[in-house]
Amino acid sequence: MDRYRFLSPLSRASGLGSAKAGFTHWWAERITAIALVPLTVWFAASLIAHSGSDYQAFIAWAGAPVTTVLMILLLLGLFWHMALGLQVVIEDYVHGEAKLWALLAMRFLCVGLPIVGILAALSIAFGKSAPL
Amino acid sequence: MVKTDALIIESSDQVPRRTLFKRFPIPRNFGVSPGSSVERGRNWPAPANATRIKAFDIYRYDPDQKKNPRLDTFEVDLDDCGPMVLDALIWIKSRVDPTLTFRRSCREGVCGSCAMNIDGGNWLACTRFIEETQTPARIYPLANMRIIKDLVPDLTHVFAQYEMVEPWLQSKTAAPERERLQAPEDRAALDGYYECILCFCCTSGCPSHWWNGDRFLGPAALLQAWRWLTDSRDEAAGDRLDKLEDPFRLYRCHTILNCTRTCPKGLNPGKAIAEIKKLVAKRHG
Repeated sequence: MDRYRFLSPLSRASGLGSAKAGFTHWWAERITAIALVPLTVWFAASLIAHSGSDYQAFIAWAGAPVTTVLMILLLLGLFWHMALGLQVVIEDYVHGEAKLWALLAMRFLCVGLPIVGILAALSIAFGKSAPL
Repeated sequence: MVKTDALIIESSDQVPRRTLFKRFPIPRNFGVSPGSSVERGRNWPAPANATRIKAFDIYRYDPDQKKNPRLDTFEVDLDDCGPMVLDALIWIKSRVDPTLTFRRSCREGVCGSCAMNIDGGNWLACTRFIEETQTPARIYPLANMRIIKDLVPDLTHVFAQYEMVEPWLQSKTAAPERERLQAPEDRAALDGYYECILCFCCTSGCPSHWWNGDRFLGPAALLQAWRWLTDSRDEAAGDRLDKLEDPFRLYRCHTILNCTRTCPKGLNPGKAIAEIKKLVAKRHG
């Protein structure tokens, strides 16, 4: 709060007014959280189930269409949820000019990393994975 | 006090049975600007003939002295003093140090003047028994407010935020000849919300309001916003939601529930905020 300016109390409190937004963010956070429950359980269970598999068997599972689709959904849900959550954390704790840079860096990672993952999933699905 | 292990706190009479740390484990005055760090003050001993003595560590700050805040220790004669923390403060002011400054009025928990931080939690001094406090009892003003003097915080900003939610009945329909009618069920919707006395214990205890209090309205103002949103006689729900729907004003609440845990009236501001969010969701489809 800029306490050295002569602002009326109401002017300080009202600031720039309501952004009339925030619902989409809040709702998407909840939707992705719910979506992540089955996706994460599926992912963890599959990894445990394949703990005894060799490379070829694992690649065969990872390249199956159902696995690829679920994997892409998991990556999208996870990083979308992560971006929404980290945005709130940064807005809470980082103030001033650093906030903009922190948000930019966070979004760069949260968009870039799932693209890497999705490309990996697709390359396995289309048989481009490197042989062992 | 009813003690429970409930995951979600719904009222301030539910306190956790176990807490890992009595207070967050950082040194006192950690990260506090040099001019605000609290120093050791003076000791005010009990009268010589006192037998039941209780020590109170009380935050003192006098802006005229150009000195840091300090923590004075007062020894109170419990046989000469009423049972409440407010009684002890009044005893100190009339018997020991008349410069001790605090707000008080009703002494029965309906005016909200004597809200302060007692043993690390916000409560009304008039409804907290001395025997429930630690020894020495630590009395601080409400946190995250600028301090005018001693235990008197500057509530200008939080009252301005209260004004922002336009806490009055708004109706375009011409006023009826007699009172506006309300079904008993509609009236019951206000229960748990109309009782707020605006002591700002909740807003002062809210971490979201600590970090972003300039934009986040805080639990007290949002509970009042819900009190008018849920009033069947009010016709401005749409306008009210327009003004509330904001990433900071409303959605900065992360359901920490310190507000509900500290409300000396046993209200649930956390639930009120959740109801506002549900109403916004309903409006979107």
